[in-house]
Amino acid sequence: MNISAKHHFRAYTPAPITREQIDRAEILFGGLHWRAERVVEAVFENMGYRARALPAATRDDLMTGRELADIGQCCPTSFTTGNLANFLRAEAERIGPAAVADRYVYVTAGSCGACRFGQYHQSYELALRNMGLEAFRLFLIDQKKPDQGAAEGGGLDINMPLTIGAVWAILCTDVLQGLEYRTRPYEVQAGQTDAVVGDCVELLHEAFRKRPYRGKKWGTLAWHMSTGYFINVLREVFRRFDVIEVDRLRVKPIVKITGEFYLQTVEGDPNYNIHRWLESEGAEVYPAAIAVWLDYLIRCEVQKLEDKVGVEKGARAKLAALRGAQRLFRWSFDRMRAALGDIPFEMPDQYELRRLAAPYFHHRLSGGEGDMLVGKALWTHKKKKAHMICELSPYACMPNTMSIGAMAGVTGKYPDLLYAPIEIKGDAEVHALSRCQMILTEAKKRAIREFVEVMERTGLTPEEAKPLIDAHPRMNRATYRIPQTGIAAGMAANTLLQLAGARGTRKAA
Amino acid sequence: MSEADRAARAKLRVGIPKALNVWTTHQFWLGFFQSLGLSPRNVVFSSDTSDEQMREFGSGRGTVDCCYPVKCVSGHYGELIFGQKRKIDILFSPMIYSLASFLDGHAMDSLACPRVMAAPENIKAGFLREKDVFAENRIAHVAPLVTLAEPKLVPRQLFDALQGVVPGLGIEETARAVEEGYATLAAFNENLRARSREILEWCARERRPCVMVLARPYHMDPGIGHEIEADLQACGYPILWLQYFPTDPELLNWIFRADLAEGLIKHPFDIDDVWPSSYSANTNEILWGAKVAARVPWITCAIRLASYECGMDQPSFTPVQQIVERSGTLFFSFQELDSTKAAGSVKIRVETISYYLERNSPGIIEAKLRHMDPACPLLRRPVSADLPA
Ligand code: SF4
Ligand code: SF4
Repeated sequence: MNISAKHHFRAYTPAPITREQIDRAEILFGGLHWRAERVVEAVFENMGYRARALPAATRDDLMTGRELADIGQCCPTSFTTGNLANFLRAEAERIGPAAVADRYVYVTAGSCGACRFGQYHQSYELALRNMGLEAFRLFLIDQKKPDQGAAEGGGLDINMPLTIGAVWAILCTDVLQGLEYRTRPYEVQAGQTDAVVGDCVELLHEAFRKRPYRGKKWGTLAWHMSTGYFINVLREVFRRFDVIEVDRLRVKPIVKITGEFYLQTVEGDPNYNIHRWLESEGAEVYPAAIAVWLDYLIRCEVQKLEDKVGVEKGARAKLAALRGAQRLFRWSFDRMRAALGDIPFEMPDQYELRRLAAPYFHHRLSGGEGDMLVGKALWTHKKKKAHMICELSPYACMPNTMSIGAMAGVTGKYPDLLYAPIEIKGDAEVHALSRCQMILTEAKKRAIREFVEVMERTGLTPEEAKPLIDAHPRMNRATYRIPQTGIAAGMAANTLLQLAGARGTRKAA
Repeated sequence: MSEADRAARAKLRVGIPKALNVWTTHQFWLGFFQSLGLSPRNVVFSSDTSDEQMREFGSGRGTVDCCYPVKCVSGHYGELIFGQKRKIDILFSPMIYSLASFLDGHAMDSLACPRVMAAPENIKAGFLREKDVFAENRIAHVAPLVTLAEPKLVPRQLFDALQGVVPGLGIEETARAVEEGYATLAAFNENLRARSREILEWCARERRPCVMVLARPYHMDPGIGHEIEADLQACGYPILWLQYFPTDPELLNWIFRADLAEGLIKHPFDIDDVWPSSYSANTNEILWGAKVAARVPWITCAIRLASYECGMDQPSFTPVQQIVERSGTLFFSFQELDSTKAAGSVKIRVETISYYLERNSPGIIEAKLRHMDPACPLLRRPVSADLPA
């Protein structure tokens, strides 16, 4: 009897890809902010591939994503699925489906666990099937494995130099983004910051494209940790920022962006361009660095090991090694931040976030940003890092709804914490932004109140402060650092405190 | 343990919300608490989910718009706090991080849905927002994070949470109680699996169809799953829940013989061929259940249940449907289930399903039998497609 199982359904598996095939193809990727994407392109190029970030996702992509995959997806899934689908569809019309399968492959992070982030590929696959593009190759990168080896066929090798290059690209562009967001709201000549940032991203792109090869494994890791190569490029970035003149006495509320990874990271339609919108409404935006997310992923692994100490052999040693790696990671970020004059915001300590969130959200609860949403909100509030927290919560997100629910306990205990959870559906902009605006209005009042208090405390008015700043022209440059004092959050208030500190007129708290 | 501790424990009353993954772990908790010396009468579960429960005990406690099964947990909490004749001392609401799944070792992970694991934090907030309802009612809210897929870690997780709440608790007895919990759960599961096997044997012997339910464990809750499967059963079709499908190797090797022989899977529990992102225990099991339903000849129909605003089920809708339908097995799904049982429309759908089952089952059984080895462990003599019905 001939029994066969061939007629049963099987999941999509990408066809193997050889080196020769990948040389003909372009690697597509996306899901980060444009600075990081541009520099990651260079990392691929440096490893001998051709790569291109997909265009920023649009509302059209959302509609396509909804149409091609199962109903009820979280909106980041719809955006990313539609983004890939629309690109491929347009290309298929131009060059035909067979050529699309031959000339492009898509690489995405996945395999990370409980929520849909670990199942994105399912939506991509469905979209590909629905478009008749099953032959297209889509590869998942396990974000916990820096050295995954070659995909079937040997053409695409996710190895240490590629991964570490991508991580360093993210760190460098994170600090650049931090400097940019601390500068633009105060620039005297509109548009100057954007122009400088554009140049700097190209500078970084070039540096990563020419990154020296230092071996396949530990050699490359050691080199990235110790080299001055990237620091020198960042110093050049810093020099370029020096041309920007700023007026830091503009009183602006600082709005900390938190929320789901994709929504807080990208800048565009998926989050209603909220970064630019907030700036246009008179706020300074405290962006969400991708490095914080990577630091959190390390913490998640640390926590799993912590639970195993005393129960599983070798757990203690692994834990010590991982904690060491985390310290090195943070040290690398701090080194880059220092190259930009320590102006970009610092990375919060993961264990402090955990401690702050503990009464409201267990640190082992995973999916999305876990306890970080609660932790970051409290950290920002208690340390006076911002006046308001804007949490970007995707429609139909699973973990995010849980953290927002837990935030009810936090806001009950800290009624003065200005918290704006904004549900992002992708096509309900007016509703979301008007909700944000209501809380922003209160944040503006707070920024003014805080500035007035600091005026009283320092005995300085803006009229008196201006000539003092002009007497020290460096203070008018984007490269001058106004430290966050913990007394006030706003840039203008901290500038007064800085001036008063220098004059000795600052009263004790 | 001192006499005083023993006496105190015997009086201790624990309330457990019968919601979410407690539906497949309640026997673990019973075994665990009994081993610690609590009286079985003092381990109380909230009742099945219902509109009345939510109205009476849970309204105004929600903190966020969410899927229906999580929303309902407020009602379960409220019932345990306000609705008991004899007050409970502990509201025990485990944050089930991972589950002891029969697919363990064959899937990437065995995690609970992020909403399942975090539900206690979320629901708790609704009882703390205005005032501390737990303190006011002198109830300890104990919500340990438990990794049931990693039994070695569980004793410490439970000891840390219950120390100071259960008088005189020690880590070693906690470890023994955890073992007892797993053993009680295993015995319960085995019993139900044996019953499922009896159903299958009967179907195989009599050439009769049965129906497989592909759903999350809490769809067994009449308030969540609306007893749709019971309506089908009333039409004369035996029901199998995937969670309690027999797992004897002989039977599974028979079901997946061709897949194994062709190297498409490594083990009967391997779902990599249909669901590579096998992180979530309940989702993995649903996918596996779909594969089983697609192969077992007497399962001529699978019904899929999914709740309102469930985020986990969404990515698996198409693969599950495809797995089942590609095999010629009937497939029906009931999605977006919430508090209302649209009795009229459910009745019509059940009648439709029943009609198709009656009309198509003999043909489906025959067609599926053609793909199977005649030596079926469910029967003492070989089966084949050409045997008279
Ligand atoms: S965190 Fe939320 S929005 Fe992001 S992938 Fe997971 S379910 Fe979707
Ligand atoms: S699996 Fe679905 S229904 Fe269950 S808790 Fe998660 S999101 Fe809600």
